[in-house]
Amino acid sequence: MASALTALQGAPLPDRLVEVLPFGSGPLGTAIAALVGAAIVGSLMMTMTAVAGPWAKRKVTAAFTDRYAVNRLGPFGLVIIVADAVRLLSKELIVPEGVDRPAWDLAPIVLAFSALLGFAVIPMGSGIHLADPEVGLVYVFAIASIASLGLVMAGYASNNKFSMLGGLRAVAQNLAYEIPLILIAVSVVLFAGSLQMSEIVAAQAEPLVTVAGFSVPTWYAFVNPFAFVLFVIANLMEVGRNPFDIPEAPTELVAGYQTEYSSVYFVLIYLGEFLHIFLGGAVIATLFLGGPAGPGPASIGIVWFIAKIWAVYLFTQWARSALPRLRIDQLIEIGWKGMLVLALANLVLTAVIVGVIA
Amino acid sequence: MSLEEPRPTDVGEAADGTVDYDELEALLGETALDREDHVNAPAFVVRPDEVQEALSALREEAGFDYCSNVTAQQYEDRFESIYHLKKYDDPTQEVGVVVPTPTDDPISQTGEPVYRTAEWHEREAYDLVGIEYEGHPDMRRILLPETWQGHPLGLDYNPEKPQVVPFREHANPLQPDTRGEGAESDTMFLNIGPHHPATHGVLHVKTVLDGEQIADVEPDIGYLHRCEEQMCQQSTYRHQIMPYPDRWDYVSAGILNEWAYARAAEDMADIDVPEYAQVIRTMSAELCRIASHMLALGTFALDVFGDFTAVFQYAFRDREVVQNILEDLTGQRLMFNYLRLGGVAWDLPEPRSEFFEKIRDFLDGLPEKTTEYHNLITSNEIFQVRCVDTGELPPETAKQYGATGPVARGSGIDFDLRRDDPYGYYEELDWDVITEDGCDNYSRVLVRMREVEESAKIIEQCVDLLAEWPEDDREIQSNVPRTLKPDADTEIYRGVEAAKGELGIYMRSDGTDKPARFKIRSPCFCNLHTLREMSEGEYIPDLIASLGSLDIVLGEVDR
Amino acid sequence: MIGMLKSMATTMKHALDGEKFTVQYPEETPEVSPRFRGVHKFSQERCIWCRQCEKVCPNDTIQIVTDDMRNGEQYNLHIGQCIYCRLCEEVCPVDAILLTQNFEFTGDTKDDLAYSKEQLKNVPWYKDIDPLASREPDREGWVGEGDGEVDYQ
Repeated sequence: MASALTALQGAPLPDRLVEVLPFGSGPLGTAIAALVGAAIVGSLMMTMTAVAGPWAKRKVTAAFTDRYAVNRLGPFGLVIIVADAVRLLSKELIVPEGVDRPAWDLAPIVLAFSALLGFAVIPMGSGIHLADPEVGLVYVFAIASIASLGLVMAGYASNNKFSMLGGLRAVAQNLAYEIPLILIAVSVVLFAGSLQMSEIVAAQAEPLVTVAGFSVPTWYAFVNPFAFVLFVIANLMEVGRNPFDIPEAPTELVAGYQTEYSSVYFVLIYLGEFLHIFLGGAVIATLFLGGPAGPGPASIGIVWFIAKIWAVYLFTQWARSALPRLRIDQLIEIGWKGMLVLALANLVLTAVIVGVIA
Repeated sequence: MSLEEPRPTDVGEAADGTVDYDELEALLGETALDREDHVNAPAFVVRPDEVQEALSALREEAGFDYCSNVTAQQYEDRFESIYHLKKYDDPTQEVGVVVPTPTDDPISQTGEPVYRTAEWHEREAYDLVGIEYEGHPDMRRILLPETWQGHPLGLDYNPEKPQVVPFREHANPLQPDTRGEGAESDTMFLNIGPHHPATHGVLHVKTVLDGEQIADVEPDIGYLHRCEEQMCQQSTYRHQIMPYPDRWDYVSAGILNEWAYARAAEDMADIDVPEYAQVIRTMSAELCRIASHMLALGTFALDVFGDFTAVFQYAFRDREVVQNILEDLTGQRLMFNYLRLGGVAWDLPEPRSEFFEKIRDFLDGLPEKTTEYHNLITSNEIFQVRCVDTGELPPETAKQYGATGPVARGSGIDFDLRRDDPYGYYEELDWDVITEDGCDNYSRVLVRMREVEESAKIIEQCVDLLAEWPEDDREIQSNVPRTLKPDADTEIYRGVEAAKGELGIYMRSDGTDKPARFKIRSPCFCNLHTLREMSEGEYIPDLIASLGSLDIVLGEVDR
Repeated sequence: MIGMLKSMATTMKHALDGEKFTVQYPEETPEVSPRFRGVHKFSQERCIWCRQCEKVCPNDTIQIVTDDMRNGEQYNLHIGQCIYCRLCEEVCPVDAILLTQNFEFTGDTKDDLAYSKEQLKNVPWYKDIDPLASREPDREGWVGEGDGEVDYQ
């Protein structure tokens, strides 16, 4: 296990690509290698989104509701992904009167890319790791928070009252949850002693206890389940999934900030949503579930990593099937009065424990 | 009468629980000009400028606290508004107040200050018949568009005349919407509907928002107005009216609606219904109630949960089983057309044992499913914080607005026509009326869920009765004339407990085989009127939840 | 919290048991009740052109054209306007009009749904079942003959 992890901590993917690709190690070669690396990670995530959006979401929802779902096109209905893509992209892009043009056009792009950029610092195992800055965790939260800007842009620029309400709700919600989320993450940083993602993963590699020959690693979820639960909940709120999908709230605000978007822009927003869920899953996997660690050789780390992301995704769908949506004032109350206090308590507790042990 | 002395509230109530109309007449004194006999109860004729006096005397001193319906109609020589008054404690105590107004000057005093529910009823009367109510706070059309010319149920209305509306009368929908309190105000006007995911049909709620909070709401109805009353006035009593009640409350409450018409017409024409048919009616009506409440539960959960998620699908799945049973019995899943005057259309399907088995299987599985719903919905903490103490409707307000059905029973009003004004076979069966005292969205949901269990109890007893019914006594329809012509100028108002509340039918015959006036008292119409009381000062999600908990069907609201 | 977990456990139970309640429609057609009311089938051999169905129809769906000798020429029925109340079948003294169990019919325009006599004759039975036999035991109860004038002819 340890040797696998040292392999992982090797140079990030672009640096190795520079050696493989025939463009030398000059500025041009580095740039091309970085682009290729980003393309690999980006298309991996996009593929996952494409599977999750039109297909997996329907299948999972159908399983919860005793129905069949997409099963006509291709094996297991998988060709629906192509059909849906064609359908969505070939729709007319309707631009409502009075939209604030640059902001309205930028919002979906901001939403999709803020999530996509977050994957740059996530160590996914099997050597897929674009960059490993020392402030990796800060970068993830910073870049993911830009989504709030996208939401408020979409809500404000649409010239629609439902969108406006949705945008305002999104900001209020994200403010209320960003802080507890980061405070909980800080407790992980205290434990790992580093903000670097690879360091955090490495810190979770030591075995915690060995029960009957089966060693439980020091995944932070096992070390501090309280923080794990808090983080999963805060993450649900952060990505705006049920029961916290208040900015969209179909039965109240039609579709919230995305009411006026159609065609490609809708696809981008839709992509952005799923990418955010996956980014949330990736952060949870990295901070609490040992990143790409798992049984077997280190070279299949990516498989474990994706499995963990999907587990988080399935959890969001499970919560969606059973939990009613909160009201915005209740949500903010829980955020500021409940989650923030709990997150602080968790931080202090962790600090004391780490301090005592160290 | 001095102010210290409490005024009596039961004038005219005889010791045996009936109404002493002579005493009522004495109470009204000079106000009552005349007395008319309707089949359901006598009615007092009142001058058009003394309506409030008469109504408040009946309300304050005689205890008629429930204005069930306001019917307006035009005769050759006069207009007439009839206020059908009842008591929540005992709806068999009825009285009518008839207000004739001259044809050339149809102005009548409004009853709105006495009974809030009269506000919408009078607007409808103005809209469709053309009587104007003096002192009414908001005398506008309610079902038809503002630009409509003429009053369709008036006698001089020409349906052939095209409705030409000048373009200038249509407000430009693209203009900036600055309604609310001036451009400087902090409020925002928001149209919820007519195309909105949570309005259960085409309902338009004009909302004024203060931030996320609701400063004012005004339901704008009429998008689904299909002239049901007029269609019934053009159909024969014997056959042609019966298919239409299915289409008022079209979400599977068909037999309950049919029963409303059947009951009124049978009482009017004095038709007996064989006991066997009454049992079948009772059973099928309760099956409809289960189906309807399942749908109400599912859509309410949909409004609160926010997606087409599990609860909605589970509720639909269970409703589907009921519909299969009803299909076996009536041949159709929604538009049953099963009741006939004097009975029902078919006997139970053969083989009978298989049919009973199917119903019993469903009833046996019901407790398990109810537990599942309670696990999923009512015991869920998020659901509780969303629904408890939101959409509050105090009992006094509910009575003012004429709320009935689960909405009234969720406000602690012990009112159920099946028990209080018995019809069918309900009297012989053992069941309870469910009430909850919470007055909020949660209570209304609980009432519906518990009523499903009561309905199951009724069905179970009916099935037992039917299974042992002697074979030679299975008369499903009494002998009814092929052409039914009730005596001229017979008037009746009769209600039944439909899934949403009291569904009443007022009919007046003119000696032909078609009713001269057919008025539907829709429970959803009155219940929807309470929306403003329920949602002011609350949040948008609460408004949506309250709307869901009212369980309105726009087909019945707009008719 | 416990209630929320109970909710989630309930849906998970449904997800794991793998049971489906819906059916895959074109492959698996539903069993409909023998009393089910679908599109009409007309039998010219039986029809005596008494016009009772035309008269009872609440929606003016049926149009009958006869010549001056009261011989039937046309029997038109707008199945898109029909409300499937089955009153025409109930009043028919000779079973000339019958609502089959067939609910699978479509049209591109409203005009396609205005069926003529020939189209009505050619309506197929649903799953080759003639529902008349299964409705036979109940025929007595359909419309009581009753007293009063007979309002046809």
